[in-house]
Amino acid sequence: MEYIVETNKLTKRFGKEYAVEALDLKIPKGEIYGFLGPNGAGKTTTIRMLLGLMRPTLGSIQIFGKDLTRERIDILKKVGSLVENPSYYPHLTAYENLEALRKIYGVPKKRIDEVLKIVRLSDVRNKKVKGFSLGMKQRLGIAASLLNNPELLILDEPTNGLDPSGIIEIRNLIKRLATEEGMTILISSHLLSEIDQIANHVGIISKGKMIFQDSIEVMRRQSQNKILLKVNDCKMAWNFLISNGIEADFSLESISLLDRKDENVAMVVRLLVENGFSIYRVEEEKRTLEDTFLQMTTEERAI
Amino acid sequence: MIGKLILTDLMKIRRKGIWFLAVLGPFGVVALQMVNYGLRKDWFIQQDTYSWFYYIRNVNAFTPFALVLGIVILTSFMASIENETNSWKQIIALPVSKWSVYLSKYTTLTILLVFATCLLTLFSVCFGIFLGLEGEVLFLDLIKYSFYTFLASMPILGLQLWISIISQNQGIPITFGVIGVILTYMAYFLPDWMIWKWPSLENQWDEPLINACFGLAVGLAIYVFGMLDFIRRDVK
Repeated sequence: MEYIVETNKLTKRFGKEYAVEALDLKIPKGEIYGFLGPNGAGKTTTIRMLLGLMRPTLGSIQIFGKDLTRERIDILKKVGSLVENPSYYPHLTAYENLEALRKIYGVPKKRIDEVLKIVRLSDVRNKKVKGFSLGMKQRLGIAASLLNNPELLILDEPTNGLDPSGIIEIRNLIKRLATEEGMTILISSHLLSEIDQIANHVGIISKGKMIFQDSIEVMRRQSQNKILLKVNDCKMAWNFLISNGIEADFSLESISLLDRKDENVAMVVRLLVENGFSIYRVEEEKRTLEDTFLQMTTEERAI
Repeated sequence: MIGKLILTDLMKIRRKGIWFLAVLGPFGVVALQMVNYGLRKDWFIQQDTYSWFYYIRNVNAFTPFALVLGIVILTSFMASIENETNSWKQIIALPVSKWSVYLSKYTTLTILLVFATCLLTLFSVCFGIFLGLEGEVLFLDLIKYSFYTFLASMPILGLQLWISIISQNQGIPITFGVIGVILTYMAYFLPDWMIWKWPSLENQWDEPLINACFGLAVGLAIYVFGMLDFIRRDVK
């Protein structure tokens, strides 16, 4: 797989605190990568390092296969970003704000109108940003990040402070950019539901460490509903089931079945009963993605 | 690249009243002489000092003060434009080198201050001619006293810019700057090595050129130091 962003043991230390520790971030080309983690987990610090705003204490960053410290300017030409709260000049109009950035990128002037149209701010292009609502400022920030037709778009909590319709709008925009323009997008959030709806790759960070990184299907599979069986002797029952070719997991007090089909459950129950096991309970364990996420992040915290 | 950055910096100071300040400063300095000569014209004639030579030195008595005050206000203004919504992170994430961002700010300020210095020379000449002072117009002296003062205050420019840019709270550079303005005001009592004395163009050898040269050299040194520190720092 071709990776657009690849970090190797990326570490950032503030004093004695490790904000980010030995992070191996891998973002495949053309994917929407959801970067998840509770507040203060190190998402923004990681993003700042990816953009060269902060110098890593240890480790290296490769973007487009180039080393960030050595070819920062070349890399940043093809990167668009929105970090935390949008930055803008309140005394300038929306158009002037973008013009100030356009001059540096050296893209044609009509690109400003294009990006304003994408985020639907064309009507207010000549109004001062001072009077914009938070959602409009956020959209202006996204417009700014699209100015240079980036190949890699880095958005740090882009839906922060937006109303529900604004969130849906941004979500659709991000999906469209990935499918139509073929952009690789890194989007960070502390809300799983947010990432679940747009990302096809997930990285979960907690306390500066990456605790999960794979495609979202893998994560979904982990959080499928399961049938739990409680029997008198779990270990023996599990061995028995396995030897009969039935997929099952064994944990301390129960056996869990991955195949939730009615016939399968009935068959397992019959097999166990016929072979003298006492079944105490048969229950369905419902786990959402959110539960998996919470479990992952709290497990980390417990250590 | 640096040219584009300067253009954007000039764009960002629109509607901030910064150009107005750059006009107000030199006008204020000459306006003080309007009061001075308006009230004491007869006394100057009586003392036989109603000439270009003394007029230029009278103007120059207030130039350092105004210039240092101007530097403090303008540097803080420039920094606050970026600090307001922390747009440093946006600028540094652009494909530009960090040193060019710093140099651009410095150059923009220099443009503003040179503009103000030119205006000062122009206003001084106009009012001098209006007064009908004795003798020839001492253009060389005028330009010297305006631009030497500017060069001699470059260390203060470098220092204030650095402090403004690294301070989240603009109260710090303003406080520091106000102390500087007071020191400039007391230049007569300061030792020669203090940078706040230099804009007064006074030294023990009585040679203004020394102040200008030292100002340029030390000013550039402080600029380089500030820039290296800016490059080293993480952007919050």
